[in-house]
Amino acid sequence: MMKMTRLIDAGLEQVKNILLRMGNIAHEAISTSLKGYIEGLSTYSEVQKISDILIITEEEANDKIFELIARFQPVASDLRLLKSCMKISYSLARYGRYALDISQIYEKIDGLALCEDWIRNHIIEMSEKVLKMIQISVELLNNRDINEARNLSEIEKQVDEMYFKYLDNLMDKPSTVNKCIISSVLVVRYLERIADHATYIGESIFYIVTGEKIILR
Amino acid sequence: MMDNYRIRKIKDRLMRILLWSSLIIAMIPLFSILLDVFINGARAINIDFFLLPTPTVGEKGGIANAIQGTLITLGLASIIGVPIGIMSGIFLSEYHDSKLSQPVRFINDVLSGFPSIVVGIFGYVLIVSVIGFSVIAAAFSLAIIMIPIVTRTTEESLRMVPVAIREAALALGIRRWKTIIFIVLKGGRKGIVTGVLLALARIAGESAPVLVTMGYWRWWFSGLNRPASNLALNIYLFAISPFENWRTLAWGSALFLILMILGISILIRVLTRGKYE
Amino acid sequence: MNRQKLEAELSYKFEIENLNAWFGSKQVLKNINMKIKEKAITAIIGPSGCGKTTLIRCLNRMHETVPDAKVTGRVLFNGVDVYGRDIDPVQIRRKIGMIFQKPNPFPMMSIYDNVAIGLKLNGVKDKRKVDSIVEKSLRMVGLWDEVKDELNKSGASLSGGQQQRLCIARALAVEPEVLLMDEPTSALDPISSAKIELLIRELAEDYTIIIVTHNMQQAARVSDYTAFLYLGELIEYGPTRQIFENPKNELTEKYLTGGFG
Repeated sequence: MMKMTRLIDAGLEQVKNILLRMGNIAHEAISTSLKGYIEGLSTYSEVQKISDILIITEEEANDKIFELIARFQPVASDLRLLKSCMKISYSLARYGRYALDISQIYEKIDGLALCEDWIRNHIIEMSEKVLKMIQISVELLNNRDINEARNLSEIEKQVDEMYFKYLDNLMDKPSTVNKCIISSVLVVRYLERIADHATYIGESIFYIVTGEKIILR
Repeated sequence: MMDNYRIRKIKDRLMRILLWSSLIIAMIPLFSILLDVFINGARAINIDFFLLPTPTVGEKGGIANAIQGTLITLGLASIIGVPIGIMSGIFLSEYHDSKLSQPVRFINDVLSGFPSIVVGIFGYVLIVSVIGFSVIAAAFSLAIIMIPIVTRTTEESLRMVPVAIREAALALGIRRWKTIIFIVLKGGRKGIVTGVLLALARIAGESAPVLVTMGYWRWWFSGLNRPASNLALNIYLFAISPFENWRTLAWGSALFLILMILGISILIRVLTRGKYE
Repeated sequence: MNRQKLEAELSYKFEIENLNAWFGSKQVLKNINMKIKEKAITAIIGPSGCGKTTLIRCLNRMHETVPDAKVTGRVLFNGVDVYGRDIDPVQIRRKIGMIFQKPNPFPMMSIYDNVAIGLKLNGVKDKRKVDSIVEKSLRMVGLWDEVKDELNKSGASLSGGQQQRLCIARALAVEPEVLLMDEPTSALDPISSAKIELLIRELAEDYTIIIVTHNMQQAARVSDYTAFLYLGELIEYGPTRQIFENPKNELTEKYLTGGFG
């Protein structure tokens, strides 16, 4: 999409590729940990490895971005792109961290084994929406489609609603505190945070393309 | 390959021999004249030569009055010719967008190519016919020869002053005429001095215009409206005279004139050297 | 209300209205309209031949010193049109100093005379006054300590960066209100350039500065406002931060990111 007519372009392409790599790994981390949580499988050591890779890669992305700033003193769209890439790489690293947190909940507390069906279904539905958001956010790195970025904010609102609805439901129903309740509350909280980060990525893409700072949340 | 190289080398050597021999052939007349003048001129030079005026037949004498007359004539010619030349040069260089500058430059070029005898006759018609043979008439004719030389060198040396310098002055809010006189002229000073010296060297050796304007005079200087003795003219007059002592003085005068012009040339060299440092 | 409006107008040093300029039949500036803030640094950027230099040369009426040059439009300087009927361009140039691309100290003139000449030729006779202005000007450009013991040496004996500072001191000596700078560091090494940039920033405390530069980073570093000129037209003009972070015009964006050609 961008012609290679400038020296900085090769560097920008490298940054983009690092972010794409991070995006794919992050997606894998979250889908692995959610699948493990829902189906009752231990994924902690596997997700930890992926999360570590993400943290290292985030560092790699930031180093590259700083190098480009030092070498080319970018301005205008290049400057906005690099500023946004730093934010995006942070969000992608957060994906990995939350994936690890979810795996840890299963490890330390429990999964959905003892849960009622409505809880189980609620979490599965929320997980699907969040995974969809992650997928969109990763694709945005490539296609920079601002309509898709806006779409992210729609889904994020739904996730938010589901989050509060779940808490309301729990408070409405007189039930005893058990492992299911504790772990599921923590997981929906993480899902909500992941959705936020997906929206941040959408905002960053919007800024790269239009130069406008907006809040999609 | 090898043959080709050898042929080229031979060609190169032949060419070099040709150039060297041309140079030597060209230098032979110059050096033989110089040698002649030095040998014969040196015999004429003694203390009397510099202190006494033109002698009568068979007496002791020198060229002191001719040196005096020449210096006065050159001085007067410079007083007339240098300001006009410099001002025309400034005009051509600083007002080159003026409609007048093209014709002025053309006339200047024509003037510099004029045969000096014609200039002399001009001076004769204009001045000698009115006040008679005089230093004024000679100086006037010589000034006319000077003007195109001074104009040309002034124009060229002012052109060498970068536009940036003029712009810097204008941008400081300095008026144009002040810029030219106090800044541009300062930058072209060396070139202008060189031009004036060049013109002086040229007119110091002129005899034809002096011949028709100065008239004959073998005494000390006695007024601008009267003739005065002149070195270049002396060489001509003495050399064709039948008197032995005059002919010796002609050689001496020639040597003195050559040394004077040489001196001016060296001065020019010294002055212009700084430009390229 | 009225007073506020008046003050807002007064804080503009220049108001350029419908300015057009030609060299012969070639139009180099097309209908420029811009207001330039007082005691701020305005940078003019754009590709070669876009009219940057011509624009600033129209402000102090240097443009017309070139044969065949023509100007139309108005340039209000402190509210007065410099192209007005009774305006003497020489008086305008005394109030608007200019620094050129290549340092151009007067040759055959000492360091002292280079700074003093503008005063002397503009009629300041008092030697003590000239001395004090020369010192003050050289101090302002940070050259005094370097040259105070050799004021009689030729201006050309200084290094390139020192020469350019000397030229700035020369311009300051006639006490202008504005300094126009035409790529003042393009002939200098990076360290000398950095010194000049710092100096420009310091001078902006007291002077209105307009700097033409090829070097976009220099414009970004040094200026408060940036104007982008392209093919004789003012494409975009605004606070430097906005121009460099978030230009509104696509041409500006392309030029800044090097996507031209």
